[in-house]
Amino acid sequence: MEEFITACPRNCYSTCSFRVQVENNTISRIFPYPGNLATPEGPCIKGLSYIERTHSSDRIIHPLRRTSSGRFEKITADDALDIISDKLSRLKDLYGPESILWYRGSGMSGLVNDIGSSFWKSFGGATTTYGNLCWPAGLEAVRLTLGQVKHNVPWDLENAKTIIIWGKNPAETNIQEIAFISCAKEKGCKVIVIDPRRTPTSDKADMLLSPHPGTDGALALAIASVLIRENMVDRKFINDHVKGFDEFSDSLSISPEEGERITGIPAFNIHELAHIIAEGSPVSIIPGYGLQRHYNGGQTIRSILSLSIITGNLGKPGAGFNYANLQSYIFDDLMEPLSYYPDKEKDFPFRRTVSMTNLGRDMSSTSGPPLKGAWIERGNPILQSPDSGMVVKAFADLEFRVVVEQFLTDTAAIGDIILPAKDIFEQSDIIGSYWSPYVCYKPGITEPPGEVMPESEIYYHLAKRLGLSIDTSQLPEPGNGNIEKWLENRIRGYSNLTLSELKKGPVLAPGLQHIAYSDMKFETPSGKIELLSSEAARKWGISPLPEYIADDTEDKHYPLSLITPNAAGRIHSQFGNLNIIRTTLPEPAAELSPFDAKKRRIITGDRIRIRNSEGEIVTRARISGRVPRGIIVLPNGIWLSEGGGGNHLITGRFTDIGFGAAFHDTRVEVEKAE
Amino acid sequence: MAEGFIFNHNNCVACGACSAACVLENKWTISPRTVYTYNSPVLPAFPVLNLSLACSHCKTALCLEGCPSSAYYRETVTGAVVIDDTKCIGCRYCQWNCPYDAPKYSPEDRVIGKCNLCYLRVKDGWMPACSTACPTGALAYGSLIRQEASERVAWFPDKGLEPFVELKGSSRSPLRIIPESRFDPEPDLILKKAALIDKEWSLIAFSFLTALSVARLISSLVEGNFPDPLQFLLLIVFAALFSLLHLGKKNRAWRAALNLRSSPLSREIGLFILYSVSAVSILLYQLPVLLIVTSVTGLFLLIAVDAVYIFADNRKAVFLHSGQTFLSALLMVSFFTGIILPFIFIATIRLTASVWRLKSDRTEHLKFVMRFFRCALLIISGISMITKISYPETGVIILFLSGELLDRMLFYIDFKPLNINRLINNQIIEAEK
Repeated sequence: MEEFITACPRNCYSTCSFRVQVENNTISRIFPYPGNLATPEGPCIKGLSYIERTHSSDRIIHPLRRTSSGRFEKITADDALDIISDKLSRLKDLYGPESILWYRGSGMSGLVNDIGSSFWKSFGGATTTYGNLCWPAGLEAVRLTLGQVKHNVPWDLENAKTIIIWGKNPAETNIQEIAFISCAKEKGCKVIVIDPRRTPTSDKADMLLSPHPGTDGALALAIASVLIRENMVDRKFINDHVKGFDEFSDSLSISPEEGERITGIPAFNIHELAHIIAEGSPVSIIPGYGLQRHYNGGQTIRSILSLSIITGNLGKPGAGFNYANLQSYIFDDLMEPLSYYPDKEKDFPFRRTVSMTNLGRDMSSTSGPPLKGAWIERGNPILQSPDSGMVVKAFADLEFRVVVEQFLTDTAAIGDIILPAKDIFEQSDIIGSYWSPYVCYKPGITEPPGEVMPESEIYYHLAKRLGLSIDTSQLPEPGNGNIEKWLENRIRGYSNLTLSELKKGPVLAPGLQHIAYSDMKFETPSGKIELLSSEAARKWGISPLPEYIADDTEDKHYPLSLITPNAAGRIHSQFGNLNIIRTTLPEPAAELSPFDAKKRRIITGDRIRIRNSEGEIVTRARISGRVPRGIIVLPNGIWLSEGGGGNHLITGRFTDIGFGAAFHDTRVEVEKAE
Repeated sequence: MAEGFIFNHNNCVACGACSAACVLENKWTISPRTVYTYNSPVLPAFPVLNLSLACSHCKTALCLEGCPSSAYYRETVTGAVVIDDTKCIGCRYCQWNCPYDAPKYSPEDRVIGKCNLCYLRVKDGWMPACSTACPTGALAYGSLIRQEASERVAWFPDKGLEPFVELKGSSRSPLRIIPESRFDPEPDLILKKAALIDKEWSLIAFSFLTALSVARLISSLVEGNFPDPLQFLLLIVFAALFSLLHLGKKNRAWRAALNLRSSPLSREIGLFILYSVSAVSILLYQLPVLLIVTSVTGLFLLIAVDAVYIFADNRKAVFLHSGQTFLSALLMVSFFTGIILPFIFIATIRLTASVWRLKSDRTEHLKFVMRFFRCALLIISGISMITKISYPETGVIILFLSGELLDRMLFYIDFKPLNINRLINNQIIEAEK
């Protein structure tokens, strides 16, 4: 029996380190690794489920080809690679390399993913995507205002006197943060949750404010107006570090009473919250990503961030704006969100005509050359992209689709060839985190089952078949030893960071600020915190100041707001298919308030039809006192076979900045399905 | 100093990691560790509380004491109360006896699975899998401190079994919600009563047929004749078959009488076997002395049947229930033999007990109707007996026995072994009032 330290590479805040025991090429146990101070108690249920996931009998471990009857048949890896290389070279000859869409999701992070980029460059290029479905509006908002996107180390939350969890649900999406919040609370910290729903996180709070979805920016600006009018701001901090305070102050037009009208939060409580913030220093605000998945998302984040700024709650222990902490993303030449829309020249030979947000529409309308083939890895766009109907059609219209997957997902099901994907224990890699400050090494510790090949090896064999010139420093030869060498090279030059050091356990990112911005240096054009950002206006055409723009999607035919958050048992569409998740956690369902359910004569367990002008889906209902009136909650990532597919109802709409997707501006009606 | 699970409800968000870790470590088909969320319908006057609970390996282990097949034992090094699932007969009596819901029945394995404290790991100096896995630090395993009454979590029922568990966490007030008007609680979810008679049909049949057979026998004794052999034998055989139906592992039924020392259920089965053997011997030898011996055994058997439930119900709420088999059999005897005074005496006791319960049945329609008919049938058959109108015609006997059967069914509905979830939910209902 051997034991290794590894880390979870999913698209999740926590990026847990954990110890893993291996017996006869089988993962037998998973333990916490207390050396990672952000996740000392170990991974969540999804992390534990790797014991099942890695060895699941549902895993695809041989290449599959779709037959003319639509079923999949097992083929050898050699045959699969031959078919793919024939198709790729034919499409390249006929239409050029840009006729291939190279689609990458966020299913598994790591430096090794760069190897794909090397392959497609030597292929002559490809069409890739721009924007991001998750969080770019908020990232861009923070970047425009503070210059960088970072926050204090997670355990610094224990020093906060007030924690405002604004639209985040760490109990289900970042569970280790709960320990720090709980610890702060024991020391007397006040915990406030702002969320339309009564989340499990709110069960741990002193107070829950439930605004209408999409109105968080108005709530923030109303609080700001109270803070300024009652002179509860940090004048010294503002004078020293903030650009545009006077302009911001003059622009505030939302009074608490107006705030009440917009958000549904009584003016009295808006006053109260302003006082809590002013009198409860240090204040940590923890915004989530759901509240910026509105078309006004960027401005919402800028508005909430203004509260931390004008009260001087930045750069101090216990104070901060914890949107994302990219301090461990040290290897990227171009950091998020800028990497989502890089400079065209520098991005050559990639062509970015397809947005993540409008994937289907953009795929269909791309010309010169049009798209003819697609390569999908680490992603599930059929389920996760808005406007699913268009996405399904766009992929169906292609001549050839390759999907690299572990399970027969809704996206894998559209593949002409499915290549089995590696699991996390089957190749070494190095990963950062957007919450934890560690750089983690993830060792290759088991042999992949069947004919599973890591993408890097798939690309190597394909490059051989296609006769591309192979530079093994870019496209290493098969074998985990070669990947380790490649990694060693990749991280050369970063001080104190070597593979041998990383193998001992996670390493704090070089240059880490435990307390972000404690040096009061802001990499903005003015070198100050920019409440007034001319870059925002220039680049995105929005007001240079934080501003609330009311939602214009109201429609009396569709009175309910649909929100599609993440649920405890899955990361987007991953993990929900595993037995241990299915048997431990509640079945997925669409949740309705008792009020709205009664009005429509719906009870728990009913099959319901959710519909709007975009489309309709049928799923199961669950009545929940945690859901407020006027909202229906259908977690994203539920497979179509389980009654998911909320994205069929969601139109592809950009957020105001950052090319994100405004998932949560969706209105629907619900009825009992006969 | 004793070791046990230490749980801080402040940190628990019901993520399920402990429960999953338990299954992954022990390869169960059900998880012996459950995370309960109290007030999941989020009624406003009570906080939402999470509790991760497996087995507390109580000093007074009722599961172990009550187990008829001696499947339970206490592991000597760690003190863990462990069930050997190769000995479990799947009778689920331990589920009635444990107020903390620790034994879990696996429909797939048809035996009980229960937390074994990962005692093999603990012996090796590790922690149980669940406490190792908890990602928020809510669940730990270690030396327990003696908690003062004021330090104990107020909502956790203490039943004097000395569980090896320490519950921590600040007392919580209900969440302040702004604006309250956006949320509607779903009170139906919590106020919904437990299903009427859940899978206990076989036990109803067994206990009713046993009481009836004893009553037939004693009636014969009183009347100075021998019971109809075929009818009498059928009653006993069917009673035995029905009791088998209740078991998850029927082929291990013989184990049920292995714990006469401490299990009321074992004693019941032991006496049933004795009674059956004795009954067969009457049919073979027709000796009056055997009739007397068997009748006495039968009466003891009925006391043992009732004791099974009284042991599990440690609030003694079924002690005075009118559906007890002993009383029922005595009433049957006086009815069958037509002896009026004892009939009136026993019927009065039982009617009083029923009417007293009728008061609290008003919220539960079906129960009210059943109890009403039960009383009516007893009165009708009593009048028929006293006035001799239609008595002893078969119709009246059927009416009378239907009333007795109804009472036995009501007994199972009213029989609610002490259970932490019910107790905490009662606190929530109280708070809402």
